[in-house]
Amino acid sequence: MEHLPSWIRRHLTALRAVAVLTVLLGLVYPLLTTGVAQALFSDKANGSMTGHGSALVGQSFTGKDGAPVRKYFQSRPSAGDHDPTATGASNLGPEDVIDTPARKSLLTQVCARSLAVGELEGVSGARPYCTPDGIGAVLKVFPGRAVSVNQACPAVPFVTSYEGLEVECARPGEDHAAGRTVPVRGNVTAVQVPADAVTAGGSGLDPHISVTYADLQAPRVARERGLALGRVRALIGEHTTGRALGFIGEPAVDVLELNLALDRG
Amino acid sequence: MSTPVRERPAPEKADGRVSGGLLDPRQLIRALPDALRKLNPVTLRRNPVMLVVEAGAAFSTVLAVLGPSLFAWAVVVWLWLTVVFANLAEAVAEGRGKAQAATLRRARTGTRARRLTSRAPAEWDVVAAPDLRQGDLVVVEAGEVIPGDGDVVEGIASVDESAITGESAPVIRESGGDRSAVTGGTRVLSDRIIVKITQRPGESFIDRMIALVEGADRQKTPNEIALNILLAALTVIFLVATATMQPLAIYSRSVNPGGPDSLALTGDGVTGVVLVSLLVCLIPTTIGALLSAIGIAGMDRLVQRNVLAMSGRAVEAAGDVSTLLLDKTGTITLGNRQAAGFVPVAGVGEQDLAEAAQLSSLADETPEGRSIVVFAKQRYGLREREVHGARWVRFTARTRMSGVDLGDRQIRKGAATAVMTWVREAGGHPADEVGHIVDGISASGGTPLVVAEKGRVLGVIHLKDVVKQGMRERFAAMRRMGIRTVMITGDNPLTARAIADEAGVDDFLAEATPEDKLALIRKEQEGGRLVAMTGDGTNDAPALAQSDVGVAMNTGTSAAKEAGNMVDLDSDPTKLIEIVEIGKQLLITRGALTTFSIANDVAKYFAIIPAMFAAVYPGLDTLNVMRLASPQSAVLSAVIFNALIIVALIPLALRGVRYRPSSAAKLLSRNLYVYGLGGIVAPFIGIKLIDLIVQFLPGMS
Amino acid sequence: MSETAAGLLFVASLIVALAVVHRPFGDYMHRVYTSPRHNAAERGLYRLLGVRPDAEQSWGVYARALLAFSLVSVLFVYGVQRLQDKLPLSLGMGPVTDHVAWNTAISFVTNTNWQAYSGESTMGHLTQMAALAVQNFVSAAVGMAVAIALVRGFARHKAGTIGNFWVDLVRGTIRILLPIAFVGALVLVAGGVIQNLSGPHEITTLTGGAQAITGGPVASQEVIKELGTNGGGFYNANSAHPFENATSWTNWFEIFLLLVIPFALTRTFGRMVGQVRQGYAILAVMGVIALGSVLLTNAFELSGGGTVPQAVGAAMEGKEVRFGVSGSATFAAATTLTSTGAVNSFHDSFTPFGGMMTLFDMMLGEVAPGGVGSGLYGMLVLAVITVFVAGLMVGRTPEYLGKKIGPREIKLASLYFLVTPVLVLAGTAAAMGSERQRASMLNSGPHGLSEVLYAFTSASGNNGSAFAGLTVNTPWYDVALGLCMVLGRFLPIVLVLALAGSLAVRSPVPEGAGTLPTHRPQFVGLVVGVTVVLVALTFLPALALGPIAEGLS
Repeated sequence: MEHLPSWIRRHLTALRAVAVLTVLLGLVYPLLTTGVAQALFSDKANGSMTGHGSALVGQSFTGKDGAPVRKYFQSRPSAGDHDPTATGASNLGPEDVIDTPARKSLLTQVCARSLAVGELEGVSGARPYCTPDGIGAVLKVFPGRAVSVNQACPAVPFVTSYEGLEVECARPGEDHAAGRTVPVRGNVTAVQVPADAVTAGGSGLDPHISVTYADLQAPRVARERGLALGRVRALIGEHTTGRALGFIGEPAVDVLELNLALDRG
Repeated sequence: MSTPVRERPAPEKADGRVSGGLLDPRQLIRALPDALRKLNPVTLRRNPVMLVVEAGAAFSTVLAVLGPSLFAWAVVVWLWLTVVFANLAEAVAEGRGKAQAATLRRARTGTRARRLTSRAPAEWDVVAAPDLRQGDLVVVEAGEVIPGDGDVVEGIASVDESAITGESAPVIRESGGDRSAVTGGTRVLSDRIIVKITQRPGESFIDRMIALVEGADRQKTPNEIALNILLAALTVIFLVATATMQPLAIYSRSVNPGGPDSLALTGDGVTGVVLVSLLVCLIPTTIGALLSAIGIAGMDRLVQRNVLAMSGRAVEAAGDVSTLLLDKTGTITLGNRQAAGFVPVAGVGEQDLAEAAQLSSLADETPEGRSIVVFAKQRYGLREREVHGARWVRFTARTRMSGVDLGDRQIRKGAATAVMTWVREAGGHPADEVGHIVDGISASGGTPLVVAEKGRVLGVIHLKDVVKQGMRERFAAMRRMGIRTVMITGDNPLTARAIADEAGVDDFLAEATPEDKLALIRKEQEGGRLVAMTGDGTNDAPALAQSDVGVAMNTGTSAAKEAGNMVDLDSDPTKLIEIVEIGKQLLITRGALTTFSIANDVAKYFAIIPAMFAAVYPGLDTLNVMRLASPQSAVLSAVIFNALIIVALIPLALRGVRYRPSSAAKLLSRNLYVYGLGGIVAPFIGIKLIDLIVQFLPGMS
Repeated sequence: MSETAAGLLFVASLIVALAVVHRPFGDYMHRVYTSPRHNAAERGLYRLLGVRPDAEQSWGVYARALLAFSLVSVLFVYGVQRLQDKLPLSLGMGPVTDHVAWNTAISFVTNTNWQAYSGESTMGHLTQMAALAVQNFVSAAVGMAVAIALVRGFARHKAGTIGNFWVDLVRGTIRILLPIAFVGALVLVAGGVIQNLSGPHEITTLTGGAQAITGGPVASQEVIKELGTNGGGFYNANSAHPFENATSWTNWFEIFLLLVIPFALTRTFGRMVGQVRQGYAILAVMGVIALGSVLLTNAFELSGGGTVPQAVGAAMEGKEVRFGVSGSATFAAATTLTSTGAVNSFHDSFTPFGGMMTLFDMMLGEVAPGGVGSGLYGMLVLAVITVFVAGLMVGRTPEYLGKKIGPREIKLASLYFLVTPVLVLAGTAAAMGSERQRASMLNSGPHGLSEVLYAFTSASGNNGSAFAGLTVNTPWYDVALGLCMVLGRFLPIVLVLALAGSLAVRSPVPEGAGTLPTHRPQFVGLVVGVTVVLVALTFLPALALGPIAEGLS
């Protein structure tokens, strides 16, 4: 080995280093950790499983038809259909407001979800920047005219005029790129559907909803199950994880555990 | 040949600030042809920042020819002006040196030399001065010009060195000792000397001086190189930032097809002229334009103080000096002991002692003796008088006393032991008190002279080394600058300590030999400190060579001048302090203008980015905080500001940033506020003001 | 308590925790890197490696050893991915495609941990453990080694050597990273992060649907992913995934882990150069920038600017309920300030200015506090540049920590500073100039531009997070971003080692009243200013056409 050129010796050393460290860090360390973890916290190390999936992994409480099962609290929307083998977020930006034939804009998705949740819970689903029919309220303004781009003809535009210009519906196939994009806020002030109900989480598996969203759903679930609202509220309280130490994170309601508790009666 | 070559050293201002020459507007005009010549890219290659500007200017000229518009042409003109202004700065700085070089040259041309053909002083031939070789012996008589640098090997003469020093008082040059060096181009006023030429042809002191003041062999100093690298890196970054912006701009335009093309942005991206404008505004043109002028002006400021630096490196090192070695005599003290007090023994009045001391010194022409007379007059009101019938006793090495015999009154003054012996011989019994007074004076660093009458000691004269006025303050200032001062003296440690305390130096080296000096320098340097010193004798040469900044006195030997890297033509050892200040000023000016240059960019972005992109993203007009009239006027105003600021800062570059000795932290704070914060704010105001005018030009809306 | 107040307390508690461990942990690392003794396990390792641990290396030898180790690592990680179907625990996954495997190998060896792949559907357990997690350790140890080598350059006088790479690598790994990782992994498991070797198993959901619950050695990888500022997640959703980051307090713990080494290394630095206060000055620079960024990111996210967040009423898209907006914003700032790149929320859906903050954090050059090691050496290079300009303004040839900053040092520091911006801007321009590469953008308009800019910033800065809408597992992006990662990692490392070598041989200049003090608030403010201004000037045109244009619309 001594008689080899130094660069070869160097790479042989490197090779041995990679091999040795791989055994130590790639096998011994994770396997040892696994062993100790399994011995000490076997429940948590294996995914905090309940009878119907993991308490940490959000799932959808919809029926085969895709409609919400009304006796259950509903999860947040998921960008990946609650599929643990395809996790992730929508990655749509804050100014993603114009629908394309390929996909709905994030704004329209929010508006549509808001409308649907409002309907389900019997409250108004209206939001700023949303049309009453749950579409992003966005105009493309050209010299001389304005188009409500997310409302394809023959829909009726959500406003009739904008700064003196008549607002038209969007003729399919027309290119609106040259227009100035103007989202229209509207005059909605009291929003009743909470933020987490209309947005997808980061993982696509968010197991929690906000306490506000749980409270919004409580009357429906109580009605469906014939339970007293107070009982449902109490269960929400039981399955709410508050802020750790009083300030870490946000209070969150574990939906699967709450639903399981309801099922248990 | 009594040409006053340059202005006398600019007098120091009251606040201790080193001042520089003023900028005469005529200098700008005179330098203009040179500035235009420097547009040649080959010369400009030394300055990468300005080379980029020139390339940009050339490129936009082509664009303006192909697609002429008033806006484009206006930008092109100002881009070229930016380069010209930069060259102008350098040319002005060089121009000052050239004027001095011309006078110096006149001193040299036409000199003939009488070269001895043998040792016998009678045989010579006449040759032109430039033909002299090392080792030649030349004879120079009154009225003749010394043909080359050398040492006097025979004779003594008074020499007018005003050609070099600007000082009209003649100096004495004699063979042997430390006053043997003569400089070519100076004129012998009296007597006749034989000079051994020590220079090689073409390398005389004057030759080097000419080269130096012209900046011909100016090499970049390490610090200048480092700064150039940093500026080049910044240039590359902004080059990349502007070049890569183009695809982004094209994309942004393509996703916002509404709205018309503008002079700044079309479907093909940002227009060439605007892109070049942005680049030129962002790269550090201010410091890039002034960097070499700062260096040349730094050397020039030294020359104005009659100091010749053999290299820019030495000037820079001067700023870094942390230990200053100063010879006591002539630098810290006036060089002569002076009477500072009369201490009578018990039973003798002060007035009596003063009177006796004065009497004994009336005929004493030594500086000490004169000082006794002066002191007696100032302090005791004793006027000088004619004394009749006095027999003066001169000082001899054997008696070590001097004095006067006035009738039967005999007065002696002198070294304690000698005078005491004289008193005892006359039957007197000096009290122990005398011994105590003598010891006390010695301990305080003074020299005691005992005064006695026959058989009786009257008292002791306290002779003192007198520290020059204002030295204490200067050393305190040095301390604040972080410079340690060390006094070098041949005195014994006791005396040395007393003077060191009085002068306020940090340390002293007593009973110093040349070897001690050298060892001290080495020791300081090993600790990482840079050492500056002055010297004139041949025995100083090794120490001068070893020190980082060695200032040789012009009156000194050739060996000393060869060994040092600066020569002080005034032979004023305290000038070291000014040299350090100039060195610091040079670095500060560079740093300040670099900071200013970079800080300027903030405002330029606020002018140009909205100008380019507000058409596609109207929201970006929010960034137009200066509310500039139109995109065109915004771009043009930024370019004009960028060019004008160079001209505006030429005086500062030549004069140097104001330097006040104070701690590094305070200096930094001050410069940061002025050049950092000022650098951010100034262009906002400047660009806005220019825009207020420029917007009325046609084609600006 | 309002979310803002809770968020501020969250940040404050992190600061307290980091402050508490700063001194003991920094001192511990100082001992690790300066102790002359090798323990028994290390001696065994050196024998296996065939290296003499007491042989000091010049900077050139040090750099060559580092590069050799990294090259072999890349080949090894590439090989394991390509052959994973032939190895155990593959969970039936096929070989990773060549360009994704190359990109991933580069990404993990360079401490970037950019995920061009989706973990749960691409990588088997053995690949995750033996290839990826190993690099999580050693790439971090390499970064620390380089930082320590640079510090030695400052600390040593007239020395020709800067340490021994193999010793620094081994010690950093087994004395610092491994013990913390082991304990940290168990803490995470206690919080609900999984640690097993199972494959995905089907369960029946409450409403009768099917769901595949995945398994794997997650905690052991999660902990080193944060501690080593790596960021490559076990899952595509990274730290947003409940199995990687189960609760709000594991979220706190993970942020703490990713900040702890970079901040504590400043103490190590102070100890090694013999002036603790110099370490505190660097810490203060990092701290001021980091705190500023965390607070601004929180402010932008909590105020929820932008059309969709306005419509929603909060910037909740891409964020998990248990972390909340603030817990997500703080994580986002921390992960981009360090070169971690783990995400617990998706930056692509952040408010325009919140997203810009994450971009800007990375553009700072990953220095506040930066990646393990890389943050410290990056910051020291910036300090050198600052000292140069400021030092001139006090009228002396600039010096830092007693070492003169001459042409060679400035050349190396300037080149270092050039690398990242050139890679980012050239890469972004190349992608934006091509119709085909633009097609990878999910979002349109300025936000699409931000996605591309973010990708090249993240890769060149070795961060690894993403505006994940951009489809990057195409051959072009895999290769281009891979090149950015390699050059963005190893060019600076070689330059830093050269700088270390050049500083080590210099003899120190004693400090005096004329020396620029580099431990005072004045200098701290100056470095902060220089860093922020230089970065802003470099990237403003690009930012103006991306997030600023979006935010001001």
